[in-house]
Amino acid sequence: MAKKRRVVKRSKSAKRKARAGVPTQSARAALAVATSPRNTVKERVAAMSAATLAVCDDDQGLQTMLNLLRDRDEPIKVRLAALASIQAASFSVVAFESCRSDYIATLRAVMTDPDPELRQRVLGLLAREKDAAAGKRLIDGLENPAKALVPPEKALQLLGYDPHADVYKIARRMVEKPPNEAARREALRLLAADANSKGVFEKILRDKTEAPEYRRISASALHAIAPDALQKLAREIVLDSSESEDVQATSLTAISQFGDEAKVSGDEALLKRVTRLKTAPSAKVKQTAKRLLTKYGR
Amino acid sequence: MVVEIQINNSSSAGARYLTWAPSPCRIRVTNPAGVPAPIVNLRISSTSAAGGGRVMVRERPTDAWANTILLHVPTNGTSVRFFTAGRFGSPSRNDRDVTIEARRGNTVVGSVRVMVRIRKNANALTSGERDRLVAAFAQLNNQGMGRFADFRDMHTAVSSSQAHGAKGFLPWHRAYLLDLERELQNIDASIALPYWRFDQPSPNIFTSQFFGVSDAMGTVSFSPTNPLQFWVTDGVPGINRRPFFNTANAPPGLRTEAQTIALGAVYPAFRTMEGNPHGSAHVSFGGVISSVPTAARDPLFFLLHCNVDRLWAKWQLQNGRFNPAVAASYDAAAAPIGHNLPDTMWPWNGVTGGTRPPTAPGGAMASSPCATAPGGQPQVQQMLDYHGSLNAASRMGFDYDDVAF
Repeated sequence: MAKKRRVVKRSKSAKRKARAGVPTQSARAALAVATSPRNTVKERVAAMSAATLAVCDDDQGLQTMLNLLRDRDEPIKVRLAALASIQAASFSVVAFESCRSDYIATLRAVMTDPDPELRQRVLGLLAREKDAAAGKRLIDGLENPAKALVPPEKALQLLGYDPHADVYKIARRMVEKPPNEAARREALRLLAADANSKGVFEKILRDKTEAPEYRRISASALHAIAPDALQKLAREIVLDSSESEDVQATSLTAISQFGDEAKVSGDEALLKRVTRLKTAPSAKVKQTAKRLLTKYGR
Repeated sequence: MVVEIQINNSSSAGARYLTWAPSPCRIRVTNPAGVPAPIVNLRISSTSAAGGGRVMVRERPTDAWANTILLHVPTNGTSVRFFTAGRFGSPSRNDRDVTIEARRGNTVVGSVRVMVRIRKNANALTSGERDRLVAAFAQLNNQGMGRFADFRDMHTAVSSSQAHGAKGFLPWHRAYLLDLERELQNIDASIALPYWRFDQPSPNIFTSQFFGVSDAMGTVSFSPTNPLQFWVTDGVPGINRRPFFNTANAPPGLRTEAQTIALGAVYPAFRTMEGNPHGSAHVSFGGVISSVPTAARDPLFFLLHCNVDRLWAKWQLQNGRFNPAVAASYDAAAAPIGHNLPDTMWPWNGVTGGTRPPTAPGGAMASSPCATAPGGQPQVQQMLDYHGSLNAASRMGFDYDDVAF
């Protein structure tokens, strides 16, 4: 389809900016291309990134983009590009602030959109704004999968932007009875913000039957909520010759990076063991052992 | 005889870091034994480790740079001034991989090891540079309770008006990066903040050894050897970052470096880069980096902004825009407080309430043993002449690998 040129009437603000050298005109022209269904999807998507400046130039620019984002008859690629352009404009907050309430209202309207990608992106934006309505929909979806807007693992990840007691309760349940492996992993990550979950992580980190991935998440979680407990367990893991190489390397990294220097430098048993690990078959263990020894002048 | 060489006019080992800008140095005889004359001729030169940095020297600010200079130094302990700088194109790879020597005849009578510490393309760092950077970041973060928490708290929705949407966007972020870089240097003095050149493929950044690999959901995983696996912000461990592009390539739709610099020769035109490529680079991902209130939770944020600052530095050099008194270097239009040339910048000024945010995390700008500028409470206008092109005292102690002095 041929590109149709439009004459855009310039506002006083646009004229002022043009005098100052701001290429408002080209942004407005891009906005015109991006929002016109007469152009191809490719042309419209390409124009979106150049239209960012025009989004907050005046109320009309933003409303045009928000309408496009809401419009289920528009091609999904165009709607996703519109969302990205509005988001990019949000990094110019002084101008964007006046549009924020309309922006949030539109995101709430779109969070139940039939398109899963758009839904997920919009829920992510709302979750990062700690939006209560989005949080409630995510929790509802975990309690009742028929109402879920995103898969449980994604819901758990997004709830991690604003973790609280109700969410921890669900996450603990997901760790025990996960709908899938990814959900268990995300539930563990979420619980890592909960000091009351220290026992959960100590248990998993000690348990050699658990997958190294979960044990490593547990090590990171303990570092955040109970660093002394991590240092103690990490030492035990390093001393244990039957340990997984990934968990051992993570433990060595934890000791090397965050261990109490006086304690570590006086721990001859540990340093002797690490010296042996310097020649371990695992490259990761070898690397982390060498790093620790270098730090302690060995 | 023995001589002392002072770099950046300091005896401190922490001051032995150079950029492309001239660093003031001094040399003095500390032990004249064996030299009866009142003046001794000393040749100043340098040696570099293989692949290491290279430096140049000169006696006076107006002299041409040279590989060696001859100085006439009194034996009574009075110091003599000279200058040194990194040779453009030859930054260091390791801490203090260059030695500046003073020779009397063929005898070395004094030496100091220095580093040409330059901000580089993160995609091209050596494994050593990469590992030192992630270790320093992890230390700064330290359970989410280290000094990094201040940097996270400086960049929020509440404080956004101080840093975005107006002409102070570039100066504010320059100060923000410099403050963070100096804190990283307090942990490991060899660190220079690298940049993510978002208009070029940068596959080496998105690896488990460096800034992590994102799964389909955006959960970032790290190698067991990478201390960033212990990253914590807002009390929550880990990083969410979902690229909407193949990380073996550059994100599509971003203005290239050439297009950005060609936005215009006057600042109001150039600073429209706040939308594209800056905003567009942020939203080429899902996850924390794509939203203003959470963006600084991802350490990649600082590499993205380092590239934004590099683009400004390159534009400044190309158009001669270091002087705030030259209209085209900045924007004379009225703007909110914190964005005008004489304004001090939040949070370093400690001002809270009214038109400023309610709190000012982090205190004054970190100081550096290598440079005195911009001081603890920088003004917008001080951030323009970052490497002392106009006034040597304005030099802040950073430079980019592809932006000459």
